[in-house]
Amino acid sequence: MAIPARRRIADVVAFVFATAATVFGLFWLAWILWITFREGAAALTPSLFTQMTPPPGSSGGILNALYGSAVMILLGVLIGTPIGVAAGTYLAEHGRYTRIAAAVSFINDILLSAPSIVIGLFIYELVVRNAGHFSGFAGALSLAIILLPIVVRTTQESLLLIPDTMREAGFALGMPRWRVTRQILYKAAMSAILTGILLGIARIAGETAPLLFTALNNQFWSANLNAPLANLPVVIFQYAMSPYDEWHTLAWAGAFVLTAFVLLLNILVRLIARKGKQ
Amino acid sequence: MMNDTATALRIMPAEFSTPPTSTSIAIDIRDLDFYYGKALALKDVTMAVPANSVTAIIGPSGCGKSTLLRAINRIYELYPDQYAAGSIEIDGRNVLDRRYALSELRRLVGMVFQKPTPFPSSIRANVAFALSYYERLPKSEVNDRIEDALRQAALWDEVKDKLNQSALGLSGGQQQRLCIARTIAVRPEILLLDEATSALDPISTAKIEELIHELRERFTIVIVTHNMQQAARVSQSTAFFHLGELIEFGNTSEIFTNPREQRTRDYITGRFG
Repeated sequence: MAIPARRRIADVVAFVFATAATVFGLFWLAWILWITFREGAAALTPSLFTQMTPPPGSSGGILNALYGSAVMILLGVLIGTPIGVAAGTYLAEHGRYTRIAAAVSFINDILLSAPSIVIGLFIYELVVRNAGHFSGFAGALSLAIILLPIVVRTTQESLLLIPDTMREAGFALGMPRWRVTRQILYKAAMSAILTGILLGIARIAGETAPLLFTALNNQFWSANLNAPLANLPVVIFQYAMSPYDEWHTLAWAGAFVLTAFVLLLNILVRLIARKGKQ
Repeated sequence: MMNDTATALRIMPAEFSTPPTSTSIAIDIRDLDFYYGKALALKDVTMAVPANSVTAIIGPSGCGKSTLLRAINRIYELYPDQYAAGSIEIDGRNVLDRRYALSELRRLVGMVFQKPTPFPSSIRANVAFALSYYERLPKSEVNDRIEDALRQAALWDEVKDKLNQSALGLSGGQQQRLCIARTIAVRPEILLLDEATSALDPISTAKIEELIHELRERFTIVIVTHNMQQAARVSQSTAFFHLGELIEFGNTSEIFTNPREQRTRDYITGRFG
């Protein structure tokens, strides 16, 4: 009955390594959260959400950056989600056994891991240079392109997880494919697709590189999407790089708001996933 | 018709003492070959399924009995490398003809699967799903048709107070009767049951068998089953398949008491399968 010593030692070693790796990862995560909170807490006042980004040497908030980020994320989601869900549906349902779907799926994987700065440069060449100026539109477009492959992939995988018996049951009633997809498969895959979209939002909310080339930044309040638009990641980047203490504090506060937003999205994802399982 | 299955079985030969005549044929299968890729799963099957009665398809695993059902409503067309050759005539038209519209065929030929497959929506929506696709009806009539279908599937009394609740909350047996209800809601002529009770407990199975007894007056029913007692209890005709071939087809009582073929006898007496 006794377990050989070698196996017991291997078990202990594996356990120690796995635990150490987990602790190592969690340590940095907790540290980042703590520093962001500690440094940002000082600037976390109501004026953070009511005032514009200030010139050096005076106090202010990040309202224009929050607004710009919110608008660009929303627009990015509005562009990226329908196309992504439609493409994912094509890959999982209509084109499932075709070569073109396999090729598209492969290309989507490349897009999924493309560095976001490359996407920023692409939109810069395509939109910003042609228009002659930076704009919120260009920013939203680059966010949409980052979101797109995430939504394509999650939609495809959520649909493929549904057993074929469900499809057969729908088709056996004589339903056309679009109706089976819309009324049965989307319902069954709803929470998984929604989870993917939310995780995608969390991803694009923090993207800085593509916005540097597209939306740039704006010191002042502007709701014009056809002009440079303030946004949280670039404000954090610029203020953190600046020599001014007030700006540093605002950058920390902005980082904290961003982290909290992403954390909230992730918690929401958990809740949806749990509800989806029931 | 009595529900007492033993009695039913005993009086069956009187009803079907002669092979089905051409006027009462619901599904006329001729020279049917079926391929999964290059593998031939059904070989030259010719059989005439009688109308308004229950035909059981029996045989060991992999003999092609489910494949036969899947050919009749062309559900196999979902998969790229499956195809059928030969002809399956229903009401004088070859349903394997590409020009025969799938929605038309599948409205005429309903199918219920081995595992209950309720859609992730309310009980009402499950039944209304196909119904509202085929027919534009006023709301009151839709409700009537839903009630009618659920009554025919012997489920109405159990669900009438919770039609708007999720179908996923029903028991396995109830889910399977719901699948039958939503299939008969569009008023098909033929029902294909692919081992529809093999995932259910004995009580649910008995309920569905009882249901098959009642439904056969209105529908032509073809059931695939692993359970030979079930075939004997519910069917009037039985077809025995082995290795993709139709070995014997005839009155259920004759197949079970006095089969012509040695292979049928061996299978029925449990020598293989």
